[in-house]
Amino acid sequence: MFRIDRRLLQSFDWFLLALVALLLAVGFANLWSATYAGVESGLPWPVRRQLFALALGGVGMLSVLFADYRHFERLTLPFYLGVLVLLGITLLLAPVTRGNRSWLVLGTLRFQPSELAKLALVLCLARFFYRNPPQHIHRLRDLAWPALFIAAPVGLIVLQRDMGVALLLLFVGATYFLLVRIPLRAWIPVVVAALFALAGAWRFALRPYQRSRILDVLDPARDPLASGYQALQSRIAVGSGGLFGQGYLEGTQTQLRFLPTQHTDFIFSVLAEEWGFIGCLVVLAVYLILLVWGLLIARSSKDGFGALLAVGVVGMFFWPAAINIAMVLGLAPVIGVPLPLFSYGGSSLLVSFLALGLLFNVSMRRYVF
Amino acid sequence: MKESDARLGRSESPIGGRFYWLVGGIFTVFAIFALRLFQLQIVEGSDLRARSQRNSVRTLRLEAARGEIMDREGRVLATTRPAYDVAVIPNEVHGRDVTYVALAQLLEKPRAEVDERVAGWRGRERFQPQVVAADLSEEFLARVESHRFALPGVVTAVRPLREYPLAEVTAHVLGSIGEVNAQELTQPEFAAYAAGETIGKSGLEAVLEADLRGRAGGRNVVVDVAGREVDVIDEVEPRRGRTLVLTLDLDLQRAAAEAFAAQKQAENEVVAGALVALDPRTGDVLALASFPSYDPNLFAGGIQPDAWRTLVEDPERPLQNRALMGQYPPGSTYKALVAAAALQEAVITPEARLFCPGSYTLGRRTYRCWKKEGHGSIDLHQALVQSCDVYFYQLGMKLGIDRLALYARGFGLGRLSGIDLEPERPGLVPTSRWKLRRHGEPWQKGETVSASIGQGYNLLTPLQLAVAYAAIANGGHRVVPRLVERVEELDGRAARTLRPAEGGTVPVAPAHLERVARALGGVVQEPHGTGWRARVSGVAVAGKTGTAQVVRLERTADMNEDEIPRRYRDHAWFAAFAPLAAPEIVVVALVEHGGHGGSAAAPIVQRVLMRYFEKRARAVAEDADPRSGERG
Repeated sequence: MFRIDRRLLQSFDWFLLALVALLLAVGFANLWSATYAGVESGLPWPVRRQLFALALGGVGMLSVLFADYRHFERLTLPFYLGVLVLLGITLLLAPVTRGNRSWLVLGTLRFQPSELAKLALVLCLARFFYRNPPQHIHRLRDLAWPALFIAAPVGLIVLQRDMGVALLLLFVGATYFLLVRIPLRAWIPVVVAALFALAGAWRFALRPYQRSRILDVLDPARDPLASGYQALQSRIAVGSGGLFGQGYLEGTQTQLRFLPTQHTDFIFSVLAEEWGFIGCLVVLAVYLILLVWGLLIARSSKDGFGALLAVGVVGMFFWPAAINIAMVLGLAPVIGVPLPLFSYGGSSLLVSFLALGLLFNVSMRRYVF
Repeated sequence: MKESDARLGRSESPIGGRFYWLVGGIFTVFAIFALRLFQLQIVEGSDLRARSQRNSVRTLRLEAARGEIMDREGRVLATTRPAYDVAVIPNEVHGRDVTYVALAQLLEKPRAEVDERVAGWRGRERFQPQVVAADLSEEFLARVESHRFALPGVVTAVRPLREYPLAEVTAHVLGSIGEVNAQELTQPEFAAYAAGETIGKSGLEAVLEADLRGRAGGRNVVVDVAGREVDVIDEVEPRRGRTLVLTLDLDLQRAAAEAFAAQKQAENEVVAGALVALDPRTGDVLALASFPSYDPNLFAGGIQPDAWRTLVEDPERPLQNRALMGQYPPGSTYKALVAAAALQEAVITPEARLFCPGSYTLGRRTYRCWKKEGHGSIDLHQALVQSCDVYFYQLGMKLGIDRLALYARGFGLGRLSGIDLEPERPGLVPTSRWKLRRHGEPWQKGETVSASIGQGYNLLTPLQLAVAYAAIANGGHRVVPRLVERVEELDGRAARTLRPAEGGTVPVAPAHLERVARALGGVVQEPHGTGWRARVSGVAVAGKTGTAQVVRLERTADMNEDEIPRRYRDHAWFAAFAPLAAPEIVVVALVEHGGHGGSAAAPIVQRVLMRYFEKRARAVAEDADPRSGERG
């Protein structure tokens, strides 16, 4: 099983690798631009750390790649439970960083277990739906277990006060619900309950700044200097890109730091300002191809577990990208969700690579059976 | 594996029919993004690009230095020098305690003062320089500069600061500057001004604002989100304003200030008054001063409110220019004009004698001469020399008030002199029509009696009296006083030269004026002359004393001058010109409540004349020396 034969190497998904490499290259160039201002020599520290995470991610990806993914099925539950424990520990031990407790600090290494939770959840749900094929699920109550699997890490992350990642995890998990065959009318009570939950959350759980951010989407001119500042500056940055952009390293919004978190959450506005409409369309197209390619892998996989894993990995890339870009473009409230392969963030990059490793794994073994 | 395969069935993928559904969903989301990008970048692109530029590009004003002002010999009366401020950018300070303590020590200020100026700045202000000490001396500046690299966050900045080296001495001529206010900004002449700009508020600074202002430059800079300058896009250097060369002679200006200061010391009281010195040939103003004065440097950097209040509320009104704005009865200085008018109208001949018994009776009223025992039989020359009141009462009665007024106007009284300085008051020449219109009563003959010795309704400014005496001195030309000789561009080229303006002619024959002038010479030179205190050795000085009544004569007539409270004392005048044969300078001095003109005002005039003729003698000697050298 651990032997790498010629057949596997031949069926390695070079196209997927090319897509990932392309996005990574653009992502690093963009991160450089977002952070190099004021650096006199050498690499800006975010780029340095990101390169370190890339190396780590590369090793992780390769190790995920060589073992047949089907072995992971057995490891799924322990991994999932382990991540839950890690989240619990984080909640108890982590220092408060920017209002939330989502970082585990080990010496100079800092890690966000909530990123790992995405992977654990995808593996866990893939296993569940592999055993309970979604095309045979017709009743809502059959989704009780997956709902619980989703709720557990989401709940812990909500307690960490990292609303963005909690929401993201909810969406990533719910990806699998798109595959079940429950009639639409059966969802009505769920939707009603969700609406009540949202209303309740608005009233009791959301903090004032979070409410402001949501209102700012509806009315961008509401509070341009305080809660709407980031969103406004982001829109200005994106718009000032025009058709061809201001040029690489030339974006004034970026280089003069009018965007507060431009190297993390607002990285896409850097791209938009400096590369313009054309550059954005190219990157969006590559991203789109990557996602569709992932779905094609899922469809062509001869193995149900592999297909479900591939769908989960697509979800892990689609949802953060959609939420992040919608936020940058002023279509969604300001939520701290990184753009995979672009935003600065070691944990995110590492987990993205592990997920891609799974995708490669499924892709190269789809003809094996 | 086999088991699960069997359960699923290979043909039945878990994705199955949902594949296109999922792809469609992803496409939809990305299509929305593309549309939104189109909206923001293409439709609203130029608009948002403009906003992004507004974010990052600032235009900083570079203030122009105001033009210099020099006296006729090129001595600087007003200049603009760089003023150095020390500021702290709180955000760039490493170690507040060390920096602030060190800074306080360097500036020799208490630490608390530095803290107070800097502390409390939050938000974006902490990226902006906060001034800790303004207008440092060179010594302190050097100290701070030499430690700057050890004190990050401490910066020095330079700004232009107006400076008047002579301070009080030239205050009323030069005027003062200040920040343009909201009301001025609405006026068309200040349309090109920005709020916060400095403008001339009074004196020549205000009158020649357009020349002195210069042209502000600007610098377009790129700033980052904190407002720090990151880059300079372009810069236009400011251009200094034009230079004014005045007709003023700083030495005479100083002499006037010294004379009033000496008076003040003698009296041990505030002495208010004014002095005007003209060149009767051209109208050039050689000296123009008003007392008490003030220090215009107080205004240069923005005046402190309490200093301003002190100036405005001072009962002696130091801000007022009495030479142009103070209106006083002319007293006996008026007699020279009455004499000229009477000669021209032939109501008297120079030789005719009138009798002065010490008083003059009109109807039931008696008008006294200042000399109780009377001057006896007296001619025009002696009447002026001894300032006989009764003689001039009779001349006035012969002329009548309206004829008198005609000549007074001819000498430039009752109207603006036209000097290139503002504001100016016209004074008052009363006529019978004026009285009827103003007071609704007919003119009384007794009022003519008072008017003929310069009391009553007559009002004039020291400048007007100087113009009138210049006309006596120069044979009948009414000069227009001018302060500005030329306006120079920065390269020294004359932007314009202000030629002496033609003011018109006094309607008195030169021969009559010469006779009056000779009599005025007698006032100073002859034994009985009232103006002997204005004598200058070696120079024939002509002049006339004057005493303008503040309260009616009767109340104080029997009192000794020293017993009268100062505010009831008469104003003292002295008007003079010299040399008698070919007058070059007219000097008029007024001392408010100075008492008798001969004793209070004449010495002041003498001091200025002495300075003038000393200088002239030196200049002649210097001119002569090289010639003798050439011969040898």
